[in-house]
Amino acid sequence: MSVLSEHLIEEIKELPAKYPQPRSAVMPALDLAQEELGYLTPEAMTEVAEALMLDPGYVEGVATFYTLFHHEPTGKHRFYMCTNLACMLRGSDEVVTRLREAIGVRGPGEVSKDGMFSYEEVECLGACEYAPMCRIDHRYEYDLTVVKIDQIVNDCRLPRLYQRTASAPRAASADAPRPKPATRRAPRAKKTDGGAISES
Amino acid sequence: MSPNQPALARLRGTTGGPVVTEHFGTADLHKLEVYEANGGYAALRKAMLEMEPAAIVGEVKASGLRGRGGAGFATGVKWSFINRAAPGEKYVVVNADESEPGTAKDRYILENSPHMVLEGIMIAAYAIGANQAWVYIRGEYDGPYRMLVEAIAEARAKGYLGPAPFGKDYPLDVQLYRGHGAYICGEETALLESLEGKRAQPRSRPPFPAVKGAWGRPTLLNNVETLATVPWILNHGAAEYVKFGTEKSPGTRLLTVSGNVQKPGVYEVELGKTFRHVIMELAGGPPEGRRVKVFWPGGSSAPVLPESMLDTTTDMEALAAARSMGGSGGVVVMDDTHCVVKAAYRLLKFYAHESCGKCTPCRVGGDWAVRTYERILANQGSQTELDTLIRVSDGLQNGRCLCGLGDSAGWVIDSTIRHFRDEYEDHTLRHECNVGAVAAHA
Repeated sequence: MSVLSEHLIEEIKELPAKYPQPRSAVMPALDLAQEELGYLTPEAMTEVAEALMLDPGYVEGVATFYTLFHHEPTGKHRFYMCTNLACMLRGSDEVVTRLREAIGVRGPGEVSKDGMFSYEEVECLGACEYAPMCRIDHRYEYDLTVVKIDQIVNDCRLPRLYQRTASAPRAASADAPRPKPATRRAPRAKKTDGGAISES
Repeated sequence: MSPNQPALARLRGTTGGPVVTEHFGTADLHKLEVYEANGGYAALRKAMLEMEPAAIVGEVKASGLRGRGGAGFATGVKWSFINRAAPGEKYVVVNADESEPGTAKDRYILENSPHMVLEGIMIAAYAIGANQAWVYIRGEYDGPYRMLVEAIAEARAKGYLGPAPFGKDYPLDVQLYRGHGAYICGEETALLESLEGKRAQPRSRPPFPAVKGAWGRPTLLNNVETLATVPWILNHGAAEYVKFGTEKSPGTRLLTVSGNVQKPGVYEVELGKTFRHVIMELAGGPPEGRRVKVFWPGGSSAPVLPESMLDTTTDMEALAAARSMGGSGGVVVMDDTHCVVKAAYRLLKFYAHESCGKCTPCRVGGDWAVRTYERILANQGSQTELDTLIRVSDGLQNGRCLCGLGDSAGWVIDSTIRHFRDEYEDHTLRHECNVGAVAAHA
């Protein structure tokens, strides 16, 4: 019984043809596996290796080199908090501390009790003019404050609203009903006392 | 508007600038038709239909354009290293793995005008005799990635990418490859290793990528901003480009100004302007009542400069004379409410974490420095710790490693001690941080 679905393994087997040399398929393949499972287990890495006809040790070696591959379970929503110089100078430490309280974890990598959240402290994400900032799942959030991080966490707890604002390509059609254009986030559901957050 | 493009109101940086950002700020510039309406793809058409490949390389050489990724190597010279007549595949590989702390310019370009980057890539590919280009884009750049995907699809539909662009029998193709979070991939040979599906560890050179690069084939590696500048140069001519900037560093470049400034942003600046102009005027200077204490002129890897050197100019020669470098153009400004030792500690943690582990000085030295900083900041320092830092810094530098990551880590220690020895001594010898006191005096 394999841990990766059959059609995914088929998909992985087709990847090497896209590259001048088949080995280049290893990261895209691990990407697909991680997308399906949430994180990479030893079994998953072995199956990727078999599908690509590579040594399992080699695949694990690649998977452990890059920080975007996870080897432990993560929360449904992953926060990648930039704490490098430009963000640090604008208060990222305070924001990270607040995030820990908001999602109820003690440190990076820990998954919140409801399984919804985990966070990591990462290096510069290349959006320094919006510092402090972070990446949540597949989107960037800018100009973070302790108030704003609370709102983002609350938004994530509302699955449908969150879906609508995630910057996936499909989200375009959902643009219309959004009430205020000033921010890309969903309207706040619970907190109404945050009206004073500055956007600049 | 595409959901991938940030609302224009949210753009922080130059729009309508002299060269690269000339059309930035135009609504929907990321769409092919809008890009073309603003003169897009004219340079590619001209290059493919009216120019000999050697003439394109010659024009880029004459422009004096230098790589904007960090090393600042002459772009035209780099292009001329590839033997166009040699049989077999050649590749253009684009370094879009922007991860130098304090640098966001490539993201800014990709989000505003992905077609401009594509056009530069295609011109480069045609000039060096490559039919395929690979863009290695960092994995965290979801938005820019999707914008490139859309742009490539549009260019394919229009025939600019495909078997016969502009009716010329010269197939062109651009493919994307996503990185997975490794700073070292900004180093060109590490990037190639990663592109080949390996752990990203730099190769020893020679052979240089121009001879043996991606998948063992001759490869041209260029940064996003470098290639984005090329269409403008072909449209207006090298003679126009050299009117900007200084004699040895012609043109403009994008500086990402971040940290303690009132208007952080990505600014297109003519080389030769002073950092005082960039930091105090363009970026509005530090917040009310505070002073610039120190700034990194070219990403965290560039040795720091203190406030007294704000009049240093942005061209590479002036920066070299100031014992720093232009690097990636990431200008990080720190004001007098922050501690230099703590900032250096944060950066050393970064370099220690991102060391690929191939060369011993960098693998061991980074961690060693981090541990020393931790002792100092826990008020357990003494003269020994200060000496250790200087020794480790020396061990990291001077070409003891295959790539520049170790040097960069060493420069952080070295340059902060050089300019702020007092602060280090306060921490190590007297176990006190006088940042607050200094600010009060100022």
